Amino acid sequence: MAITRRQFLKRTGGLAAGSLLGPGLLGNPFIRKALADTIGDRYFVVLYLDGGNDGLNTVTPVTNGGGSLRTAYDAARTSINLTPGQLGASLIGNDPNTGGQLAIHPGFTSGLKPLYDLGKVAVIQGCGYPDYNLSHEQSRSIWQSADPLGLGLSGGWVGRYLAANYGGSDIPGVNISDSIVGEFKQGTTSVITLERLADFGFPYDYDYGDDTAAKRTAFLGLCNEAHASLQPTVQYIGDSGKATLLSSESYPALDSDYTTDRAAFNDQYDAVGRSLADDLREVAKVIYGVKRGVPNVNARIFQVSNGGYDTHSDQGGADPNGQQYSLHKEVGDSLKVFYDDLADMGIANKVCIVTWSEFSRRIPQNDSGTDHGSQGPMFVIGGGVTGGVYGNHPNIDDAALDSEGNTVYTQSANPFRSTDFRDVYGTILKHWLNMPVGQISTLLPSDVGSPQFYWTAPNFDLGFV
Amino acid sequence: MGDENTVLDAASARHLLRRSGFGAAPADVQSIVDRGLTRGQAADELLNFKGKAFKPSGKYIEDSHNKWVKFMVKTKFPLQQKLVLFWHDHFATSNNKVEHPKLMANQIRTLHINCKGNMKTFVKAMNKDAAMVEFLDTVRNHRDIPNENYGRELQELFTLGVYDFAGNPNYKQADIVQIARAFTGWDYEYNSGKPLFHDYDHDFIADFPERGLPIGAPVPPGNKLVYQSTGGFGSGGRDIAANGEGAQEIDTVIDIIFDHKDTDGKSTVARRTARRLLEYFAHPIDNPIPPADIAVVDQVVADSSFDTTWDISALVRAIFVNDAFYETSAGVPYSASTKKSVKWPIDYVVSSVRLMHMKLKSKFQYVDANGGKDIRDQLSNMGQVLLEPPSVFGWDWENSWISSATLLARYEFARELTGARGGGGNAFRPDKLIVNIGGNDVSLVSLSDPDDILLGVTDTLGVTDQLTTAEKNYLIDYLTDGGMNPTLDFSDYDTRNRKLNGLFALVLQSAAYQLH
Repeated sequence: MAITRRQFLKRTGGLAAGSLLGPGLLGNPFIRKALADTIGDRYFVVLYLDGGNDGLNTVTPVTNGGGSLRTAYDAARTSINLTPGQLGASLIGNDPNTGGQLAIHPGFTSGLKPLYDLGKVAVIQGCGYPDYNLSHEQSRSIWQSADPLGLGLSGGWVGRYLAANYGGSDIPGVNISDSIVGEFKQGTTSVITLERLADFGFPYDYDYGDDTAAKRTAFLGLCNEAHASLQPTVQYIGDSGKATLLSSESYPALDSDYTTDRAAFNDQYDAVGRSLADDLREVAKVIYGVKRGVPNVNARIFQVSNGGYDTHSDQGGADPNGQQYSLHKEVGDSLKVFYDDLADMGIANKVCIVTWSEFSRRIPQNDSGTDHGSQGPMFVIGGGVTGGVYGNHPNIDDAALDSEGNTVYTQSANPFRSTDFRDVYGTILKHWLNMPVGQISTLLPSDVGSPQFYWTAPNFDLGFV
Repeated sequence: MGDENTVLDAASARHLLRRSGFGAAPADVQSIVDRGLTRGQAADELLNFKGKAFKPSGKYIEDSHNKWVKFMVKTKFPLQQKLVLFWHDHFATSNNKVEHPKLMANQIRTLHINCKGNMKTFVKAMNKDAAMVEFLDTVRNHRDIPNENYGRELQELFTLGVYDFAGNPNYKQADIVQIARAFTGWDYEYNSGKPLFHDYDHDFIADFPERGLPIGAPVPPGNKLVYQSTGGFGSGGRDIAANGEGAQEIDTVIDIIFDHKDTDGKSTVARRTARRLLEYFAHPIDNPIPPADIAVVDQVVADSSFDTTWDISALVRAIFVNDAFYETSAGVPYSASTKKSVKWPIDYVVSSVRLMHMKLKSKFQYVDANGGKDIRDQLSNMGQVLLEPPSVFGWDWENSWISSATLLARYEFARELTGARGGGGNAFRPDKLIVNIGGNDVSLVSLSDPDDILLGVTDTLGVTDQLTTAEKNYLIDYLTDGGMNPTLDFSDYDTRNRKLNGLFALVLQSAAYQLH
C-alpha cells in the first residue's frame, strides 16, 4: 500500500507543507519518494467545455463500416453536417464496435489532429451516465460530483481526491477561474483561484510601502487565529485567506519568470489569440515554477474552462466561421501549443489533460443548431497517454433514440455498450494519480440498480493511460 | 429564549441591523438601545418602509448596475434593498440572455413593488414579467412545440422545490408538461415589455386531446390535470382549466401551486419560502433539513399565517422576532456548532461604503474620485454582478462566495476604500467618522491609546463582538509596531494616515468582517 502524501506529512510532524517543500528539500530523497508514491512528478489538468458540446460533430462517423452510423448521421444532420470530404484531413481511428471510420471535427485539423497522429490523444466515445439530466446546472453538477443518482457525495470528484491526499496547509490545486469549480470542491485542503498570475499580488497600501511588513504580520496573524476557530466558516475563511496571502507572494513572479525564460512559447500562445490559450499558458507558468522548485509553488492539479458550446442555433458545420468550428479550433490549437511547451520543458509525458462537457446535444438537429442531449466524447491528452479510439460510438439510428431524440445509455453487453464517465475518472485516478483501487471505490461508489441501465460494474482500466 | 417582546441589547440590535440592512451604524444601534425597542417594535419599524419602486434604468446594463449600487448606498430603507436582492436571487434573471436593459430595469421595479407584499400576487406578476418571459423561454413556448423551461423552474425554484421536507418529490415530469401548456401563447411587446397573450398560439385541449395524462385510474383524454400523485390533491389532481382555458390559466396554475401540500400536510410553498428567507436572514440550513430547523420553519409560518395570507412582510417579521434569527449574532468565542453566514459581495461593498461614510463617484461609481476600478468590475471579481446572476439558480451562497480570487477582490476593495485619501467629497476621513467611542464623545486626532483606537474602529465596522482577544492583539501589535510605539500620535498626519487607515483595511480584510 502506497503511503499517501498526507500520511507522509503527518509522519514527518506538524510542519507546514510549504516550508517542507522548499527547493532544498525537494532534493531530499525521502520527500521525492513520498511524492512519487502519490502522483509522482505528475500534473493533471481538467478542461471543461461549458454549455454542452455537440459530440456528434466532435467525433463524427465518416463511413458505415459494418453498421449504419454514417447513414444515420446523414439523416439526422441535414444542414450542419460534415461531409466525408470535409473530414478527410482529420480522420482518426475506427469505431471499435461497427468498424466505421471516424474523424474529429475539421476545426481540430491544425491542433488536435497532429497530437492524435503522435499517439498522444485518447478519444473516448459515448461517455454518459444513467438517468441523464438536460439542465446545464444539474448535469454539470452530476459530472462534477460524479453522483448521478444523488447519493449526496460531498464535494467534487477531484476535491475528494485532493482531500484524501493533501492537508490544510497544502495548496495542491489551482483553478484558472474566479471561483472554485464544482469538481474541486472539498473542505480539507486549499485550492486557489486566479485569472492571471500577474494580478495575483496582495493589495497593500500604495502610499505607505514601509507599513507592508507590519500589515502582513497582522493579516497572517488574523488568518492563523481564524484557522484556530472551532467555527467551520471562520476557519475556512482563515485558511483561504492564508493560502491566498502565501500564494500571492510566490505566484505572481511565475509570470515574469515564464515570460522571460520562455519567450518563444509565450509568443505562440499569443499567436493562437484565444482565451483558452491564455488560460493554459497560466497553467504552464505554474508548472514551470513547480518544475524549477520555486518555494511554496506545489500545485499539481489544475482546471481551465472554455465557454460557448450551447449551440441551439447557428452551430455551423465545416465553415471556419461557424461557432463550433471556431471553438474546436480554439481547443485544438491551444492544446497543441500547451503540449509543445511542455514537451520543450521535457515534461510532456508528466502532464495529462482530460476534457468534459455537461452533456452532448440532440442527435437530430433543429433549424441551425442542436438542443441538449445525452452522451458525448471525452478527450484525454498527454505524453503518457496511449492514443486511439476508446469506447463505442452511441447508436444514433432514429429507432434507437429515446423519445427526446437522444442516445440511450446502456451498460449491457449489447454492441453499443456506453462508457460511464466515472470509468474515465477512475482510470485516471488509478493509472495517472496512483490512487489505490479501494479508495477509488469510495470516491466513486458504484450505482445500485439494474446492471443493464446502471453503472454497477466499474472498469478503472480503460487502457488509455 | 425570547419572543417579540424581548428588549434588544446592543449585540442583538447590531445583528438585526446588519442582517436587515447594510451594516450596523453605531448611531442606529444606539437609537434602538436608547429607546429600549423590543424585537417586535424594531422589526415593525424596519418593515414599515414606503420605499420607492426604484427602476435602475440605463441604456447599457453597466449603467443600470451602477445606478442600483448607488441607490443602495444612499437608501434610507436598506431592508427594502435586502429583500429585493433576495428576490433577485430567487427569481434569478440575467441580462446575458435577455439582452434588454429596459426589461431588466422593469423587473427590478417589479421586485421593489412586491418585495414585502403578497407572495401569490408576486409570482403571478413574475409569470408575465417580460424579462422573465424572455429568460425562461415562455416566448419560445408554442402550442405546437411546448417549451418546458418556465414550467420546470416555476415549480423547482420559484415555488415548490423538487422535494418536500420529507424528501418526497413535489411534482412529476408530467406536471411540468401540463404547466408548460398553460403558458403557451404568452409573449411581450418588445419595446415596452407589456405582456401579450396570443389566443392563436395557446394550447387548447380540443386541439391536442392526446396531451392528456392517463395516470392511474382512467381519466377523460385531453385534460389539463396536474398533481395527480403529489400535493395532497388525491388521484384526481387539480385542473389548470378549472377557471376556463386561455389567458386565465397561468393565474389558476399559481392558485393551485399555492394549495400544494407536503406529504405531512403543511403548505409546500410557505415552507420553502420561509426556509429560504431564514437561510438568507438567519443562517444556512443543512440538506436534508434537520428536525430542529423544520420546527423553526413551521413556527415562523404559523406565527405569520403566511400559508394563508402569503404576506411576506408578516413572514419576515416572524423571522426577525424568532430566537433562531438571533442565534447567528453570537459573539466570540465560537463553538463548532455556532452558526455563521458569509456576507454577499454586494453587502460587503455597500456596507463598507455606508459604514465609512463614503460616496461612490461618477457613472463608474469609483471609490476614489481620481478613478480606480469600476464598482461593477470590483463586484465581478468578488463573484456577483447584479442583473447577471450566473444562472436561473441564482448565486451560490455562503462558503461559495469565498475563494482566493474573490478574497483578493475583497481585500483590494478594502485597500481602495482606505486608500482614498485624494480629498474631494468622497475621501476616506476617519477623523470625521470616529467621534464617539463607547458612548463617549472623542476627538480622534487626540487619541493615543491603541485599545481606544481599536475599539473605535471595530465599533464603526460593527465587529467588536466578533473578534477574539488574540485577533485584537494582532491588531494592537500592528498599531504599536509590536509594542515599540505603545502610544500613537494621531495629530501627526503620517501616523494617522498610515496606521489608522491600515487598521481599517485589516479589519475589512479579517475573517470576522466577511461574516454578517
